[in-house]
Amino acid sequence: MTAWYDSNIILIQSTFVGLLTALSLQVPIRFGVFSFAGVGCYGVGAYTTAIIVIRLGWPAPLAMGAGMLLAAVTGYLLALVLSRLGGLYLGMATIAFDLIVTVVVANGGELTGGPSGLFGAISDVGTVHVALTSLVVVVLLALSERGRFGRRVEAVREDPELAAAMGVEVRYYRQLAFVISALLGACAGGFNVLLRTTIAPTDIGFSLVTLALTMIIVGGSRSWAGAFIGAVIFTWLPSVLEFSGQFQKVIYGVIVALAAIWVPGGLIGVVTDAYRSWQRSRRAAGPGDAGPDDGDRRTASPRAEGTPA
Amino acid sequence: MLQDLINALSLGSIYLLFALGMSLVWGTIGILNFAHGAIFMFAAFASYVIVEQVRLPMLALIVIGALVGAALSVAVQVLAFQPILQRAKDLRSGEMQILIGGIGVAAIPLAVAEEETGSNPFGFSASSYATKTYVLLGFRITNTQILVVAAALLIAVAVIAWLRMSRSGLALRSLGVDPETASLMGVNRRVLGLGSMAVAGALAGFSGVMLTYHLGAITPDSGDTLLIKAFAAVILGGVGSMAGVVVGSYVLALAETIVLTQTSGLWVDAVSFGVILAVLLFKSEGLFGRKEVRRT
Repeated sequence: MTAWYDSNIILIQSTFVGLLTALSLQVPIRFGVFSFAGVGCYGVGAYTTAIIVIRLGWPAPLAMGAGMLLAAVTGYLLALVLSRLGGLYLGMATIAFDLIVTVVVANGGELTGGPSGLFGAISDVGTVHVALTSLVVVVLLALSERGRFGRRVEAVREDPELAAAMGVEVRYYRQLAFVISALLGACAGGFNVLLRTTIAPTDIGFSLVTLALTMIIVGGSRSWAGAFIGAVIFTWLPSVLEFSGQFQKVIYGVIVALAAIWVPGGLIGVVTDAYRSWQRSRRAAGPGDAGPDDGDRRTASPRAEGTPA
Repeated sequence: MLQDLINALSLGSIYLLFALGMSLVWGTIGILNFAHGAIFMFAAFASYVIVEQVRLPMLALIVIGALVGAALSVAVQVLAFQPILQRAKDLRSGEMQILIGGIGVAAIPLAVAEEETGSNPFGFSASSYATKTYVLLGFRITNTQILVVAAALLIAVAVIAWLRMSRSGLALRSLGVDPETASLMGVNRRVLGLGSMAVAGALAGFSGVMLTYHLGAITPDSGDTLLIKAFAAVILGGVGSMAGVVVGSYVLALAETIVLTQTSGLWVDAVSFGVILAVLLFKSEGLFGRKEVRRT
């Protein structure tokens, strides 16, 4: 076990960083906001952390906190500025923001190290820290998927007009999505730079958007669990696919395309659907539940599900 | 100064050839094709593979590139976008899935080309076409540049005329306004969708071959950069407006040339990203777009 852990420590750390990055795109999608700004905030967080640790010598948690704060402010400002846009146009505008971040850091001269980036952000941050942070984040997000708050978020995503009519402050929830996404992205970026000690403009470009998006598409975009599955798959897939040699990237592309086209709910969606239909068939086969009014009950409100007949 | 103008004109023509197909598909059947860049690159790559075997003139390579582009584009429509649209529960989620599906599909040709070339640039050095440089009044212009500019303008005029004057062009434009009503009026959405994707793919393939001749060589990942730039050009001109794409492409190329010559460093890429943000924020219908186009 420890031997396995030691030889795969980089992949284990990357899995958690990947999870946090994927969550920074998954959270806004769950709020019905098609924003990729989390990746730009990953860059903001990573560079702020690296600059503070290298130039000012602050302790790592303070540096990461500063990076997350700056990213959260950026995210909030983006939310205000882009509030008129939705759907595809919001997606493209936030991709443009991500790419502007890469151009700015590539032209930052001394401060950001230009095209070659920054080196030597040394700290005592290790696997335990990133794992614990991911655990806390996942617990908080899992809680946010339940109860009153979870239902409101769902309403904001599925039908903003209806949600507004029911007294949910849609604007506030959308801004919240931007800020959470920025915090998660900056957190992922901060951890990545502290674990790897380097950051360069090429690490935060369009390819990072594609990777994070790939994770949540294959895993599933409706829940944190989808992001987790995606992060595990796409961090470990390259080493699993080594046997296929030169066709590795082609297989990778085929998997992404198939998932995007045929499994829009992702793997977690497939599992949830299978579980629901299994539950339904079990209930239909159960005693006293196969009456003629069965169909009516199924179309009744979802809360009636699971109540004994 | 005039030399910069000539360079901007040829750069804008490449953008135009690429963006024209993207805008045609997006403005009519409402698909923002993120695989357009990969189709563009793969058509050039296929021509490269063939020209390494047989020494061919430029015209043959252009035809090959256009055919490969059209075939790939139709394949993407049939294998990816049609299934997505059939299964999507509403237009909004369909749009996002098409964006994501396009990114996914684009990874396949990119992976194949990167595998074959080892991510190195490839060019048509084996072709029988030779670049000549003319010096006119102290300005340098190559025969490829003249060809690119002439072809881009001719094709743009042809596409605009087709959309404005022909019956199929009218049908295609009606799809861009209201697909449901257009279907009720007897417009065949499936056939026109395939047709416009084929035209867009042929244009992408054509621009891929021309850009490779123009630059000498391109890398497999050059499609991604061009995709963002073409998006900026389309947004700037206004979605659904073909004349807008023409203006958008040349304005973008001119702005990039000015930034490239007037500033030091790597700010040139920021132009297109800045254009996207600025236009979406301040004038989201673009310079020539229809006001009623849905922006939410």
